[in-house]
Amino acid sequence: MSTDVPLLVACLRITDLRPHVDPLAGTITRDRLGVALTPADAAALEHALRLAEAWNGRVVVLAAGPASIEPVLREVAGLGVELVRLPLGDEGDGHRYVGELAGDERQLARALVDAMAPFGHPSVVLCGDRSIDRGTGALPAYLAHELGAAQALGLVALAHDASPEAEGRRLIAERRLDGGWRERLSVPLPAVCSVEGAGVRLRRASLAGALAAADTPLPVDRSLDATSASGLLHIGAPAPFRPPTRVQPAPSASDARLRLRDLTGVQVAHDPPTVVEPGSSAEAADIVLAFLARHGYLDDTDAVGGAQ
Amino acid sequence: MTDHITCDAIVVGAGPAGASAALALARAGRSVIMVERGQFPGAKNVYGGVVYGRVLDDMVPGWWEEVPVERWVVRRSTVMMTPTQSVSVDFRTQAWGEAPYNGMTTLRCHFDAWLAEKATGAGARLLTSTTATGLVRDASGRVTGVRTDRDGAELHAPVVIACDGVNSFLAKEAGLLPRAEASHHTLGVKEVHHLPPSVIEERFGLASDEGVDMEILGCTRAIPGGGFLYTNTDSISVGVVVSLPQLAASGVRPEALISDLTAHPTIAPLLRGSTLREYSAHLIPEGGYDTMPPLAADGLLIAGDAAAMTLAAGLWLEGVNFAIGSGWAAGQAADRALVAGDTSARGLASYRADLESNFVLTDHKRLRKAPSLVLSDRVQQRYPGLICDLAEGMFTVTNPTPKAGGLSMTRRAAAKHGVKLHQLAADTLRGLRIFG
Repeated sequence: MSTDVPLLVACLRITDLRPHVDPLAGTITRDRLGVALTPADAAALEHALRLAEAWNGRVVVLAAGPASIEPVLREVAGLGVELVRLPLGDEGDGHRYVGELAGDERQLARALVDAMAPFGHPSVVLCGDRSIDRGTGALPAYLAHELGAAQALGLVALAHDASPEAEGRRLIAERRLDGGWRERLSVPLPAVCSVEGAGVRLRRASLAGALAAADTPLPVDRSLDATSASGLLHIGAPAPFRPPTRVQPAPSASDARLRLRDLTGVQVAHDPPTVVEPGSSAEAADIVLAFLARHGYLDDTDAVGGAQ
Repeated sequence: MTDHITCDAIVVGAGPAGASAALALARAGRSVIMVERGQFPGAKNVYGGVVYGRVLDDMVPGWWEEVPVERWVVRRSTVMMTPTQSVSVDFRTQAWGEAPYNGMTTLRCHFDAWLAEKATGAGARLLTSTTATGLVRDASGRVTGVRTDRDGAELHAPVVIACDGVNSFLAKEAGLLPRAEASHHTLGVKEVHHLPPSVIEERFGLASDEGVDMEILGCTRAIPGGGFLYTNTDSISVGVVVSLPQLAASGVRPEALISDLTAHPTIAPLLRGSTLREYSAHLIPEGGYDTMPPLAADGLLIAGDAAAMTLAAGLWLEGVNFAIGSGWAAGQAADRALVAGDTSARGLASYRADLESNFVLTDHKRLRKAPSLVLSDRVQQRYPGLICDLAEGMFTVTNPTPKAGGLSMTRRAAAKHGVKLHQLAADTLRGLRIFG
């Protein structure tokens, strides 16, 4: 593969953005119809496309997600990028979602670096801010480490540095600081950048591009399955919660009743609990009874509608 | 300069009509592109109803083995109500719960995607997230393609089939649908309530895959219309369909009508403990046969809701089956026109002839007077109360006063609701003529 053409890699995480979460059991159900790019991932891809235009480079998209994300991938493929899907979270197994949350980002970063290797050494790798690893933000840093690249994370603006002294080998980036301030960074290449979903809007594929993508098979890199599985934490039944022992000073009151109160903490002011939902005790009872019925603890007919 | 992408036929809309048209063309070996503005077929849809699948028998043999059904409808209830009363005529047959089935509740985001996959499986190409923004015409005015909201190209084909739904912009641009007449449309508003499947089955007396279709009269205040309730696997669709101009004139918010319905003593217990999942609204072309636009122009056919093919005839409330039937016929007619090398309006005329000879236009033509009867003041505002009072009178035990005769009770109820017996007889005769 020629190294003359700058390579820009966008690492995207595509999944159901509105999964249903059972409020009592915490069970997560994903629906293929809710699959979409996050705004941050869309911004990462748009930045990659703009940099590629400025440098006459090429864009490779590594998209992690199950087979159900293919309609979204076809829209992405219509933009004229090279694309590989990494089957993360395949294929309708809800437990893998927990695995993703507990995943080892370093292992995932290594898998991504392996997946981009056939295309050459990237000039810039772009990720959505807090996207591919579901919120920790650690993946871009691991990617930078694995690639030996500079890192600039949480950016709101990104462009190539057109100044003569940059010699086409630097980026200009901006990110937010506290108090409404922003800092401007000069980032050397190669670099790993994560961006917020702000400032740019992902372009749409042309009609010809969209039609071509509709007919093209989308390649899948199966190596991530085995690689990432070995790096995942094993989730089992939770152990009972055992708070650590804390040494409390002996109560000093002379009266035994007051000492007991001190020990039990009944005189300490607490914030009252906040009731988010439901609106009434009858509705709350209905929800609890329906949950118990759904999980086989009650006769269904007594559950919903049975609360008085 | 604009690039051109050429194929044999363009189908705008990947709903039931569009997918059926594309399926017919693809099976005939035609290159066909479906243009769908949603992210996936069914994404832009609002629907709460029953799909009658008999029309699929020839298109997808054994369709019931694979269709994404929610529940097979085995109970059909017609309910007339006042704010405090209701009379139900409930029909149930287990025959509808067995293959080849009669009607099903389904979620259109799944059903439309399934039907569109049949078309793409046969070779049609699906272009999603793309809106057809206008027609492309040649110097003679003949339709030769569509423009889209994507950059760079136009789609060109000898035939365009507009299945772009109610208030079709393509049909309007072609001059086939001069203007949207509010009186030919109703507004459907719907809520979807979640309940566990076992609770739905217990409350409605159903087995695991059985469902109920309830059509309701007298639940829309003084606005002509009706209500509905359908059972899905783990949810209930409930809502109202009301006359658009009279809703606007009334100043009543449509969600207030649903609130009335869901709080009604007949309906509220069915929804108790449910969680609201969704609220949506959509126009429905209910004007019937007399309001249908011309179905063909040079290079253009219209099918489904775009051609007002929704049958709202009181006893029968059907739309998807007419969309499928018309789309299928449009695809076949387009193929015949392509074979003959004549896609002018004349060359595409076999489309209308096909529809006249099958259920699509036959049913619409036969029931063309039904909308005016069903939406008349007496049927909407007086008969539900009359029937409820008559039932209450018959079933109220008045001891020690002797029971009144049926005729005198009818006279009393009719007088209370401002109905004269000759009007009752006239409407009965009118109904027999329409539905008989």
